[in-house]
Amino acid sequence: MSYLVPLPVVVPLFGAALALVLGRRPIAQRAISVTALVVTLAVAVLLLWRAHWHGPLVVHIGGWRAPLGIVLVADQLAALMLVVSAAVTLCVLLYSIGEEERADPGEHTPVVIYHPTYLVMTSGVTNAFLAGDLFSLFVGFEVLLAASYVLLTIGGTEERIRAGTTYVVVGLVSSLIFLTAIGLVYASTGTLNLAQMVGRLDALSADLRLALHGVLLLAFAIKAAVFPLAAWLPDSYPTAPAPVTAVFAGLLTKIGIYAIIRTETLLFPDGRAADLLLVLALLTMLVGILGAVAQSDIKRLLSFTLVSHIGYLLFGVALTSGPGLAAAIFYVVHHITVQTTLFLAAGLVERRAGSTNLDRIGGLARVAPLLGVLFLVPALNLSGVPPFSGFLGKLGLLQAGVSAGGVLPWLVVVAGTLTSLLTLYATTKVWSLAFWRPPRLVDPEAPARLPRLMVGATTVLVLLGVGLTVAAGPLFGVSTEAADDLRQRVPYVRAVFPGGPP
Amino acid sequence: MLMLLALHLVAAALAPALVHRWGRWAFLPLAVAPASAFGWALGYADTVREGRAVVEAYPWVPELGIELALRVTTLSWLLVLLVGGIGALVLVYCVRYFDADEPGLGRFAAVFVGFAGAMLGVVLADDLLLLYVCWELTSVFSYLLIAHHPEQQASRRSANQALLVTTLGGLVMLVGFVMLGQHAGTYRWSEIAARPPPPGGYLGIAVVLILVGALSKSAIFPTSFWLPAAMAAPTPVSAYLHAAAMVKAGVYLVALLAPVYAEVGPWRPVIYVTGIVTVLAGGWAALRQVDLKLLLAYGTVSQLGLLVVLVGAGTPDAALAGVAMLVGHALFKAALFLVVGIVDRRAGTRDLTVLSGLWRRMPLVCATAVLAAASMAGVTPLLGFVAKEAILGAFRGDPPLLAALLLGAVLTTAYSARFVRGAFAGRPPPREATPTRPVETVLLAPAALLAVAGLVLGVLAGPVGETLAGYPRLFGSIAHPLTFVPASGLVLGLSALAQVGGLLLFALRTPVGAVQARLRAPFDGDTAYQVLSRGFDRFAVALTGATQRGSLPQYLGVILFALVLVLGGALLRGPWPDRIGVSGNPLQAVVGVVLGVAAVLTVRARSRLTAVILAGVTGYCTAVLFVLHGAPDLALAQFLAETVTIVIFVLVLRRLPARFSVRPLRRSRWTRLALGVAVGAVVTAMAVAATGARRAPPVSAEFPGPALSFGYGRNVVNVTLVDIRAWDTMGEIAVLVVAATGVASLIFQRRRGPDRPRRDDLPPPPGAERVWLRAGPTLRTRRRSIVFEVVVRLIFHTVVLFSIFLLFSGHNAPGGGFVGGLVAGLALAVRYLAGGRHELDQAAPVDAGMLLGVGLFVSVGTGLLAMSTGGEVLRSSLLEPELPLVGELHLVTSIFFDIGVYLVVVGLVLDILRSLGAEVDRQIEVEDEPGTGLRTDRPAGPARQAAAGAGAPDAPGGTDSESAGTDSESAGTDSGVAGTEGRR
Repeated sequence: MSYLVPLPVVVPLFGAALALVLGRRPIAQRAISVTALVVTLAVAVLLLWRAHWHGPLVVHIGGWRAPLGIVLVADQLAALMLVVSAAVTLCVLLYSIGEEERADPGEHTPVVIYHPTYLVMTSGVTNAFLAGDLFSLFVGFEVLLAASYVLLTIGGTEERIRAGTTYVVVGLVSSLIFLTAIGLVYASTGTLNLAQMVGRLDALSADLRLALHGVLLLAFAIKAAVFPLAAWLPDSYPTAPAPVTAVFAGLLTKIGIYAIIRTETLLFPDGRAADLLLVLALLTMLVGILGAVAQSDIKRLLSFTLVSHIGYLLFGVALTSGPGLAAAIFYVVHHITVQTTLFLAAGLVERRAGSTNLDRIGGLARVAPLLGVLFLVPALNLSGVPPFSGFLGKLGLLQAGVSAGGVLPWLVVVAGTLTSLLTLYATTKVWSLAFWRPPRLVDPEAPARLPRLMVGATTVLVLLGVGLTVAAGPLFGVSTEAADDLRQRVPYVRAVFPGGPP
Repeated sequence: MLMLLALHLVAAALAPALVHRWGRWAFLPLAVAPASAFGWALGYADTVREGRAVVEAYPWVPELGIELALRVTTLSWLLVLLVGGIGALVLVYCVRYFDADEPGLGRFAAVFVGFAGAMLGVVLADDLLLLYVCWELTSVFSYLLIAHHPEQQASRRSANQALLVTTLGGLVMLVGFVMLGQHAGTYRWSEIAARPPPPGGYLGIAVVLILVGALSKSAIFPTSFWLPAAMAAPTPVSAYLHAAAMVKAGVYLVALLAPVYAEVGPWRPVIYVTGIVTVLAGGWAALRQVDLKLLLAYGTVSQLGLLVVLVGAGTPDAALAGVAMLVGHALFKAALFLVVGIVDRRAGTRDLTVLSGLWRRMPLVCATAVLAAASMAGVTPLLGFVAKEAILGAFRGDPPLLAALLLGAVLTTAYSARFVRGAFAGRPPPREATPTRPVETVLLAPAALLAVAGLVLGVLAGPVGETLAGYPRLFGSIAHPLTFVPASGLVLGLSALAQVGGLLLFALRTPVGAVQARLRAPFDGDTAYQVLSRGFDRFAVALTGATQRGSLPQYLGVILFALVLVLGGALLRGPWPDRIGVSGNPLQAVVGVVLGVAAVLTVRARSRLTAVILAGVTGYCTAVLFVLHGAPDLALAQFLAETVTIVIFVLVLRRLPARFSVRPLRRSRWTRLALGVAVGAVVTAMAVAATGARRAPPVSAEFPGPALSFGYGRNVVNVTLVDIRAWDTMGEIAVLVVAATGVASLIFQRRRGPDRPRRDDLPPPPGAERVWLRAGPTLRTRRRSIVFEVVVRLIFHTVVLFSIFLLFSGHNAPGGGFVGGLVAGLALAVRYLAGGRHELDQAAPVDAGMLLGVGLFVSVGTGLLAMSTGGEVLRSSLLEPELPLVGELHLVTSIFFDIGVYLVVVGLVLDILRSLGAEVDRQIEVEDEPGTGLRTDRPAGPARQAAAGAGAPDAPGGTDSESAGTDSESAGTDSGVAGTEGRR
């Protein structure tokens, strides 16, 4: 089975190469992209099944045994993330194909580069999830970031270039910090293999370990958009094309969170950053959601809720308890799905009404009732309205926080509750203005019929989000087991080095 | 029981289709869902009377302790009857209430049935978390119901208000539940209640938190304001909301918890104070209303306060009175609301100052209303009277509370009278009777049925009390069973006093009205809500303005400051090594100094070109450091990459102003300088600390052996790149591919006009025949240098051959795909620089995108091929084929991977030359002289400058309105800082 492990990276990359070669044949490009992502999804599901029942799968790239060569590790956490990200990227791809088909001849998205770049980004995402090596993780980040730079500025409008400047420069600085951290880690431990690093980091002095911990955390926190390092996000995401924003919002920040989860549990389990993380979680939640309340554009508003809810994920990690971590993992799955869905729905709003500016649109519930459902359900889901998965995730976090006790966890519990309410406040504002007001459309000529593929892809994601509620039992089971494995550290190390680390 | 919930869900899902098909008659089949709940409950009457529970449980998320656990005992059984029975009647009533062409009826029907299902869930749930789920669902559904006419602003506002107030309460309550559940280790109420609560200070807090939720749901003071506002909903919704659902959920929860928590410290004070205030304030406000619906709404508020006091008191008699009142209120309030709906629809208004003489025109409706209102006022032998007797009896021992409740009863009688008279009485002669339309039986029957039920159950007070006794017995034994015959003189006297007082108050309505007009509260909950939410919005905008300035330099400053803080903080704790290794080679120090100086000068440079070249110097110095450290391969790659970078930079600089723009940066200059120095210092210190701490040998020390034996190569660096860590190389070439296509897409996008796939844009060479120097016919003479062109043309093929040699020799000697590709790329670059864009096309007549794609294809394909032969991905093997003439070949498969790398690098350089070079040339030519493209050079004209300005990437890193949303602050000085400039 271990031959499956590299496929989620290799297949999209191979697809990207083919799509580039077939640049002049859009239909072939689409077929390749869809096939590549379908295969990726199928492989991811197999990996999750395998990792859940039979333990982590490890592949030694090129036959080079660890720690000499690079290993890819598909444990439950990685496999779960793979499944969700593959499903989401596939839906977004279909959505964007739907968009292409109906694009106005005037402002055609450059299909030629969209597909290869999108596939490369996917391979970067999957690479980051599977990486068992700190530098491979960096490469994964680089791949997805480079692709995201291109996707963000696609079309080259002035607005996008301007937003792209912020995004690219912050991205480069964060990569630089990550790279510095890798250099420092290698300098002090002499290895990049995560499993081998476990023992070697433990052997370092606690203070040096704290410093390494801090730099890595900083690098990941920028990518994950943790306050006060999150300001770049709402300035850049909303300008991109809808599917691009959607997939960025769903996946990219979560990879930062994934990296934080991985390093906090595997490399630095001493919990010395826990209090700091709790404070950051609290600030991220509140400052983020207040930002959302202050917005008058749907996409910007959603970008702020994105930042805000990163706080929940951080909260779960910072609690360092099994239930906290399990809830955080569940919440990642939920948030990837629902945030992507909302941005796709916002894209449909933009298409139907001509704008996402709340001052200029209204009455969509009457004009486009299906669109109303497609927005309302994920919006309620995001706001933590039961029985949706957002509620279940928040419930898990609340339970873990209350169990932890102590002043800081309690403060974050209060902040989390407040954030949940304010998210509802912000999303109902959108609902009230864009959907319930008397109709007004910026572009009254806009075709009443939305492209079927776009609506279909959004619907699938909405249903996927609702499905998380139905499947919450097994999903929480996997999250809990993944969290236990992470906290024990041994399963990971033993998977890479069955005979113990050298 | 789960089937009942599922039935509601299915009915809700089908509702739009049914309404689409049958119009408003679809409400009849939909009524089956709540009716079946009613019937189901009747079937279990005996079980409940015997004090047994009906239980069902299904797992959901065991890790969270949340399961679909349902349990029916006396209290919940009673509520199932109310929720189901009244739900069904209201749905029947809807058939005639709505006009046939009412818009949004399908949605309304679906949401209403869903609402009924959610309410049923609240009362069935045994798991507290499941109860919360259904609880919140009722909030959401009522939100959708209240805004039935969403295009009216008041409607939307009321809906939002109701949702937010109840959700806030709900969340607070959830925290309380979680505290209970985590302490008890279970969320099943039956289990929590069965065991004594674990002691601890948490209990008081948890109970108060839960009460906040329950009371806000039931519109108890100080959250009463949302309920009257919710009158924006259609009347059937109001009837259901007030009589059986939503607001009753809070009362239900208080009643559910009271047997266990009534003795907990804060319970009674909270219940009594808020309850009594609500009773009095609600009743007082009801007396003032002219809208019949609002009158009833404030009446509901008052009665809810009463119910909460009763069920929260924690004594058996009060509890018995409470459940009796619960039933009584549900029956008469539902009936009255339905009557108001009839009046509203058939007489066209519900303003009691306008209505006149309806008792003549709709006598049956009037009779129904009188019967229900009499029950509300507590006239014997109606159920309302029975309940009131029980209340007065239960609180006989508590005079202050009794007095307050009596006052409440006075108010109730008064507003009941006001209701009946206002709705139905005739007016003095000049006023005509209000014209009405006929009232259908279907419309009246539900209301009449409910009113009559109040009479029947009043007469049957004894059996009713017996049936419901299971609940009050949880508190102890009942002293006074229910009866419609006055039990004691004192109670009867008090009851009569309430009636007389109420009628008196009503008779004195003119002076009372005058008092009310003067006695207005300084503010009400609604205003407070508005002020709070507006202030909160302002706060949010101000805070976001402060944190989200839209200024890239600020964002970077924060990041770097965090870096200094993290590293500096950790370093201060002193992870210093015992010894610090110093390089023995003095040349390294010299190079280091040069590097440092170049870096400082780069930052200070005012001219862009200077800055680029100085930055290049730092790169070259790094390469020299590699050489001195004995890494020729790295040095070679670094030299070449640096050179290509400079070429690219120069190409870009053609379109930028020559100097960095001067902006008002002086102010923050020293801060930025200090930050830069600090970052450098901490990173350096950290590098020293980290290197000094290493004890274990690095993994790379073991590379050389296996590189030869397993990777079949002597050049360890190359084997590392294409074999040991080929996975990372694969990722990095993907980065190159993406970067190249991205740059190209931006440049080629620039062009306006009809859309064409950009790769088709290779310009047709002017002149069909191949010429040796393409620059001849295509380039401006003043730009040409014939010697340069000829030399380049002569050595080009040699260099390309050399690059291929580097590629193939790389496995054992310095070189490799990356270096080879850079060399070939440089050859192309020089060719372009010498001969212009047409010369470039001639030198490389291929599509760069194709080259990139093929390169990636070859590299990744090599990896996949290894898998298909059974090895790990990217595993290399040694091929030793016998070729004719050549003899035995020694071929490592990783060379194919390296070929892919080579192609990607060449493609990258070519793509950049095409876009940043050739395409920009073309654009400049077009701008200079549309049409010919062949003119002498001249200084940048206005058109060119304008274009340069628009295309310059040093546009402000963030701007005001766009990047900061509603924030107007950010238009301040900071946003003027340029992205590019700010970094330097």
